[in-house]
Amino acid sequence: MELDISGAKILLRIPTNIPILGDILLTETIVMSWVVMALITGLCIWLTRDLKVEGITKRQAVAEMIVETANHFVVGNMGEKFRHFIPFVAALFATSVVSNLISLTGLRSPTADLSTEAAWAVVVFTIITAQKIKASGVGGYFKGFTQPIPVLTPFNILSELATPISMACRHFGNILSGVVINALLYGALAAASAKLFGLLPGVVGDVLSQIPFLSVGIPAILSVYFDWFSGFMQAFIFCMLTVMYISNASEG
Amino acid sequence: MEVQGLVGLAPWTFIATIANLFIQVYLIKRFLFKPINEVLEKRKAKADAEIKDAETAKQEAIAVKAEYEQNMQEAKAKANEILANAQKTATLQSEEILREANAQAMAIKGKAESDIAQEKRKAVNELKTEIGEMAMEIAERVIEREISEEDHKKLIDEYIANVGDAS
Repeated sequence: MELDISGAKILLRIPTNIPILGDILLTETIVMSWVVMALITGLCIWLTRDLKVEGITKRQAVAEMIVETANHFVVGNMGEKFRHFIPFVAALFATSVVSNLISLTGLRSPTADLSTEAAWAVVVFTIITAQKIKASGVGGYFKGFTQPIPVLTPFNILSELATPISMACRHFGNILSGVVINALLYGALAAASAKLFGLLPGVVGDVLSQIPFLSVGIPAILSVYFDWFSGFMQAFIFCMLTVMYISNASEG
Repeated sequence: MEVQGLVGLAPWTFIATIANLFIQVYLIKRFLFKPINEVLEKRKAKADAEIKDAETAKQEAIAVKAEYEQNMQEAKAKANEILANAQKTATLQSEEILREANAQAMAIKGKAESDIAQEKRKAVNELKTEIGEMAMEIAERVIEREISEEDHKKLIDEYIANVGDAS
């Protein structure tokens, strides 16, 4: 029995000779992120079908609740002047949640690839830096690294770089742990059921031992934590940190 | 099938994810936030309009009430005025009537008095004449002689004066 926990499958390799970036790889992550985008957009379109001002449907009430929640979350944490960040934070949260939860269907979630979280973290880091420069000017931004004393400059730079790395790794680590534990559990349960049903004599035992009966049910309990709780929690933490860092950065 | 490392950065995945994130931002903005915010705005505008309408109606009601109260007050004042006028007129009229009645009474009294005086004088004169004649007759018969006209007159006057005093 061999257990292989690996990264995203490469579905297609388009050879290019671009240095550093390498060949274009159409990985499972990219395909799944398209699926996630399609799901979110489809859900948005479905939720906002035939909107009314009065006598709204339950569907519209849900859509309005989502929008109001996003508005309150962003405006409440960042202030009125960051109203244009609402779609960004909402998109980040929706993509993260749907990506995390898509693993429930047995598909590989895009967030189980460090590249995804790293990309988000870099975007957030860019926004944070832009806000800092906007708040205190280019000179002020670089001068900020030498505060309170110039000796601390390397540490300041390190802590600045730690922001996106910690954000990306926190999210990725939580999802990856779910993937690893799930794979281990499925492997263990398959092995256990193979051994258990292998005890049956003859052909019946040979056939039944190939079917991992024990894999039904038990992993669902773990998935409550690793997919549902962790999935929502990490998406929420990522968005909360994004909102907090950006609003802090704009205060200079 | 080729697989990527479990932990690692794939440059194209990285780039694609950034692009996907921005596309997702646009899509979520276009398909969720824009329509819902429009509806929320519309509802807010409607609620505002209704509140404004209600306020206008309230203002109107207050104006109408003020007008009504003013009218009531004016009517009350007018009624009071009319009442006061009526009382004044009544007083004046009653005084006038009293005065007239007094005057009439006085006039009647005066006339009655003058009538009485006249009657008295007339009666006295008649009596004087009659008594004079009677006395003359009696005297002629009693003393069978003529008294002088002058003496006669004096005698009668004396008598009448006595009678008048006695009456």
